[in-house]
Amino acid sequence: MSNITEKEVEHIAGLARIKLTEKEKDKMTKELGAILGYIDKLKEVNTEGVEPIAHITGLTDVFRNDDNPRESDPENIKRLLKQAPGEKDGYVKVKSVFED
Amino acid sequence: MTNIGHTIKSVKQGLEKGEFSVEEIAAEYRKRIEKENPKLNAYLSVFENQNPKPLTLNPGPLSGIPCAIKDNILINGEKCTAGSKILKNYVAPYDATVINKLKNAGAIFLGKTNLDEFAMGTTGENSAFGPTLNPHDHTRVAGGSSSGSGAAVAADLAVFALGSDTGGSIRAPASFCGVVGLKPTYGVVSRYGLIAMASSFDQIGPITKTVEDAAIILNTIAGRDPLDFTSVPGDVPDYTANLGKPIKGLKIGVPKEFMGEGLDSKINDLVQKALSGLESLGAHIDEISLPMTDYALAAYYIIVPAEISANLARYDGIKYGYSTFEKDKRLLDVYLDSRAGGLGDEVKRRIMLGTYTLSAGYYDAYYLRAQKVRALIKRDFEKIFEKYDAVVGPTMSTVAPKIGELSDPLSAYMADIYTVQVNIVGLPAISVPCGFVEVGGVKMPAGLQIIGKHFDESKILQIAYAFEQSRGL
Repeated sequence: MSNITEKEVEHIAGLARIKLTEKEKDKMTKELGAILGYIDKLKEVNTEGVEPIAHITGLTDVFRNDDNPRESDPENIKRLLKQAPGEKDGYVKVKSVFED
Repeated sequence: MTNIGHTIKSVKQGLEKGEFSVEEIAAEYRKRIEKENPKLNAYLSVFENQNPKPLTLNPGPLSGIPCAIKDNILINGEKCTAGSKILKNYVAPYDATVINKLKNAGAIFLGKTNLDEFAMGTTGENSAFGPTLNPHDHTRVAGGSSSGSGAAVAADLAVFALGSDTGGSIRAPASFCGVVGLKPTYGVVSRYGLIAMASSFDQIGPITKTVEDAAIILNTIAGRDPLDFTSVPGDVPDYTANLGKPIKGLKIGVPKEFMGEGLDSKINDLVQKALSGLESLGAHIDEISLPMTDYALAAYYIIVPAEISANLARYDGIKYGYSTFEKDKRLLDVYLDSRAGGLGDEVKRRIMLGTYTLSAGYYDAYYLRAQKVRALIKRDFEKIFEKYDAVVGPTMSTVAPKIGELSDPLSAYMADIYTVQVNIVGLPAISVPCGFVEVGGVKMPAGLQIIGKHFDESKILQIAYAFEQSRGL
């Protein structure tokens, strides 16, 4: 069983932007510990001199034209904005970043 | 459950002979869904008369064929939930490329099918909208993550369905429900409009009643798509061309790691019988070794959560989906609370795991190492495919578990042991029914998995077809 502390779980939850209850923190610490204990077995594999996989079928340098016709389609913009919880003057509205 | 119901061919024949019209066959399926779905929970949404309207039917290869679509594939103007509360009311603003292709081929969409939340699961129980039950035994799971697609096809609530497969999500429900499931080579089918889970693993593929139907659907949905840069260039072959060709002389490797400890003895019997069947058709069978099998599962559960943690950062309560925008005062709280309230346990677990293994100080030990192990596994398969035409073994180590049986996360991960290597290497694989195991007086189906080298779908379809024909449907 690999050790991950509740404090680390708290830190990771912050990075992942997920609020956890105290109960969830406790459960997550145990479950992640068990999973990390299992995946730790990768340390047994000798990977010296092995190049990590970049793309599995070996495609490289795929290009496209630098345009997107949907970007300027006003109907599309309207439809997308309709799904945002907050909207103002054709923009997505968000809450303030700083406290008053 | 011996009658498989309609196939693409039987619907086509019925339409041609005038036994039923397109409206009638679609209505018949809707009626069946209305009756059976409350028991199975296979469909999350059913399209009422969406199409066919007065039919100017497209005379394509799937003209008038009613199908079901996993609810992580976008159909313009329809809800797409991904089995998650966070997308409960999300309406797709465009068609996935596969949907476009099916529309052009004339297919009729019956509705969207249930899945583990964001396709994360092996049983189907991680759906925010409840598990899909197995048509063979309602106390058992349908298999995941394409749970609804597997159950819908098995119960003949659709002629065929689309699923997606990141670590076995097409093949597991196919095996548990007793239908055919094909996971194509990475890049053969466009992922444009598939809600992303792990982008270097995800592939869309068909779940069907017959191998021939799987080949027909692949013919329709495959091909380079300028909207998916990872889709592979080149012409789409006719995947039905090899069906019916003899498999005499083909070399098949059976990994000993797939046939040992952990495999249910009755499934072992079925697979052995299947191998004898292939041998009597003239195939040459050898035992081989995939020594990285155990490590592959560990690598999978590092790389996939890492990709998940990045891909699912977009669900933040700002642009669409479940949001606490109305109630929270600070931006940060909107993020924290929307994700806390909108995402389920397994999704949170994987996001956390991926965030951890990618975080400072751990990247080299976990992610980078796993990508190197991925290269080693690829090498193993390359060596095997120098000598062998296909790798064959069980799809799953057991029949469909009881609801709740795999509630511990790690034991659920272990159930993917035979399926994940295919995705790690981007290989094509098919699960085809190989018989039944009697448990508690109920006959539960099991699947035979046939794995091919990159872009060799035609050969695994050829073997699967020969096997299916020799068994009889």
